[in-house]
Amino acid sequence: MIRVNNLHKIYGHGTAATHALSSINLEIKAGEFVAIMGRSGSGKSTLLHLLGLLDTPTNGDILIEGKSILKLSEKERGRFRLEKLGYVFQEYSLLSEMTVLENVYIPAMCLGNENSYKQRAEELLQMVGLGERAKHYPNEVSGGEQQRTSIARALINHPKILFADEPTASLDINSAQVILALFKKLNKETGQTIVMVTHEPEDRKHVDRIIWLSDGLVGKEATEPN
Amino acid sequence: MGNIKLTLFLAFKSIIRGNRWTLILVIVMMALSFANLLVTPSILSGLTDTFDRQQIDNLLANIIVDPPSYEYYLDHVGPIEKRIEQIPGVIGVSSHLNNTAFFEYEWEKKASPEDKGKSGTWPVIGIDPSREVNVTKIASYIIEGSYLSPNDRDEIVIGAEIAGGSMAVSNEGKTLQGVKVGDEVRLTYPNGVQREYIVKGIFQSREIIQADRMTFITRKEMASVLGRQVYDDRASQILIKTGQGAEENQVISEIESLGLDAEVKSWREYGGTASGIVSSFDIIASLINTIGLAVAGIVMFIIIYISVINKKRQIGILRAIGIKRDVIVGSYLLQAIFYAMLGIISGGLFFGYVITPYFDLHPLELSVGRVSLVIESGTVTKAVMGILVASVLAGILPALHITRQNIIKSIWGN
Repeated sequence: MIRVNNLHKIYGHGTAATHALSSINLEIKAGEFVAIMGRSGSGKSTLLHLLGLLDTPTNGDILIEGKSILKLSEKERGRFRLEKLGYVFQEYSLLSEMTVLENVYIPAMCLGNENSYKQRAEELLQMVGLGERAKHYPNEVSGGEQQRTSIARALINHPKILFADEPTASLDINSAQVILALFKKLNKETGQTIVMVTHEPEDRKHVDRIIWLSDGLVGKEATEPN
Repeated sequence: MGNIKLTLFLAFKSIIRGNRWTLILVIVMMALSFANLLVTPSILSGLTDTFDRQQIDNLLANIIVDPPSYEYYLDHVGPIEKRIEQIPGVIGVSSHLNNTAFFEYEWEKKASPEDKGKSGTWPVIGIDPSREVNVTKIASYIIEGSYLSPNDRDEIVIGAEIAGGSMAVSNEGKTLQGVKVGDEVRLTYPNGVQREYIVKGIFQSREIIQADRMTFITRKEMASVLGRQVYDDRASQILIKTGQGAEENQVISEIESLGLDAEVKSWREYGGTASGIVSSFDIIASLINTIGLAVAGIVMFIIIYISVINKKRQIGILRAIGIKRDVIVGSYLLQAIFYAMLGIISGGLFFGYVITPYFDLHPLELSVGRVSLVIESGTVTKAVMGILVASVLAGILPALHITRQNIIKSIWGN
C-alpha cells in the first residue's frame, strides 16, 4: 500500500542544515495497523507529515497504491489527500466555528451530495460514541471527544489510509484508551490501514507492527503480538 | 458545485460564529469610512450647488440672450420677449438695459468739487419690475422700503453694499456710507445725463456680494436717460428663467431656432469664475477622497489581516483535510464582500438618515452662503467601488499568503 524509497528531509541550508530524515525505506501493507515510535526529535512526525502529503521531502519517493505521489501537482495532492487519506492530529484540530457534525462532514462537502455525507457523518459520530454531541461546538466537548470527532472526520471520505500523529498525547489515560480501542476496532472490523505516531510504550500492544526511528533513520522493525 | 457550496458554507459559519466584536468593529469602521467618502465631496458639491443657485437666482437666470458681438443692444425686445415666453419650459423673461453711473449721496455737503464725499461708480440696470420678479429673486431680498413698480421714474432700488451703513460688509469708503430709504441719491451717467432718485428700497441677498452691488431703476427711466426714442424697445440683454425639469440646452436650441440676431448662452458660460472654483474643488475633493480611501483601505486591511492571521491555524487545518485553496480564499473573499456591503449599507443609512438631515437643519454658514450636502450618484459609485476594492484586497491578500504557506507551518506555526 505504501512504499517509501530513500526518503530524505533536510530543514535549513548549508551549515544550518538539519537532517530530520535520512535514507528512509519502508513498506506498509494494506490493512496493517502500524506505529511509528522513537524518541523526541527522531523524525516520527516529520515522516508522518511526508506520508500524509502535508509536507514534501528533500529527496526520495513515496508510492501509495503504486503511484508516486510526489509527482502530483499541488492541486492533485490536495485532491489525493481529500479522497484517499485521513489525518488525525496531535492536538485538537477541529474548526471552532463549526459543530461536531459539521466538522465531520466538511471534507465530504467537495465530493458527495448533502444527504449522503450528512448521514455518513451521523453514522461515524455514532460509531465513535458521539451521536448525542453532534450539534455541540468543539469548545463544548471534552478533549477526548474532540479527538474522537477528528477520527470521525478523518474517516468521512472512506480513506485508504488513516494517519494519526500522537492522537492520545493530550488526553488523560481513560480517553487515550478509548481512542486506541477505537483504532483497533476500525482496523479489525473494517480493515482500515492505520499509521500512528506515538511515544507511549503502552500503545505498542494495540498495533500490528512498530517502525522505530532513531535520529532520522529507521531502526529495527518489530512485530508485536496483539 | 460542491466547491461553491463549501465556499459559501465556510464564509457563512465564519461570519455567524466569528468574534462578534471583530465583526462589529469591522462594520463600524467600514460604515464610517464609507460615510467619510461621501461627506467631503457632498460638502464640496453643496458648495458648488450654492454657487450655481446664487448665479441663477441673483445674477444671470438660466439663459442669457446677448446682442451679437458687433452690436451693443438688442432691438425690438418686446416681440422677442413674447416669442421666448411661448417656448415650453420658460417661466420668466426679463430685458435688462444696462448702464453704469457715478453715485453721490449728500453731495450738497461736499466741501469742494474735488471732494470725493459719499460717492462711487456702480452698475445701474433698467428693468421691467413686473417681469423681473419672474426671473431673479432681487425683489424678495428687500430689507428696507419696497421694490420698484412698473411706472416708477424717480425711484431707485439699491443693494446693501452700495447703501453702506451697518448692514454692509464692504469698507465704508466703498459704499455711500449709510443711505436710507427715502434719501436722495444723484446719478451721473456716462452720457452726461444727471438724475436724482429717491431710494425706494434696499435689498440684500445675503448670498452673493456681487448681487448686493447692483442698483435697479425701471427700464422706462433708463430709456429716458439714454434717449427714449431709440432705447424704448432696446435691451442690453434678455434674461430667461426656466422651470424645474426643463432642459436648458433644449430651450437654448428653441431660442436659436427663432432666428434672432443674437447670442444665446447658458448661465454656465457666463459663470467662468464659479466654474474655475468648482474645478478647483473637484481637484481638492479627489485628493481628499484618495487619501480618505487609502486610510480606510489600510485600516480595513490591518483589521481584516489580523482577523485572518488569527485564523491561520484553522486555514492550515482546512488545507490538511483536503479543502482546496480556491475554496478557502473564496470564503475570505465572500466574507470581505459581506463586511463591505454591510459597511456600505450602514454607512449609507448613517449618511442618509443622520448626517444629511443634520446638515439640512443646520447648513454650513460660509461666506458664500448656506451650504447643505449635495450627493451625486458618481460620488456614491466611487465610494462603493473604493470600499469594495479595499475590502476585497484586505480579505484576499492575507488568505492567499497563508494558503501558500506550508500546511504544517500554518497549523503549528513552526
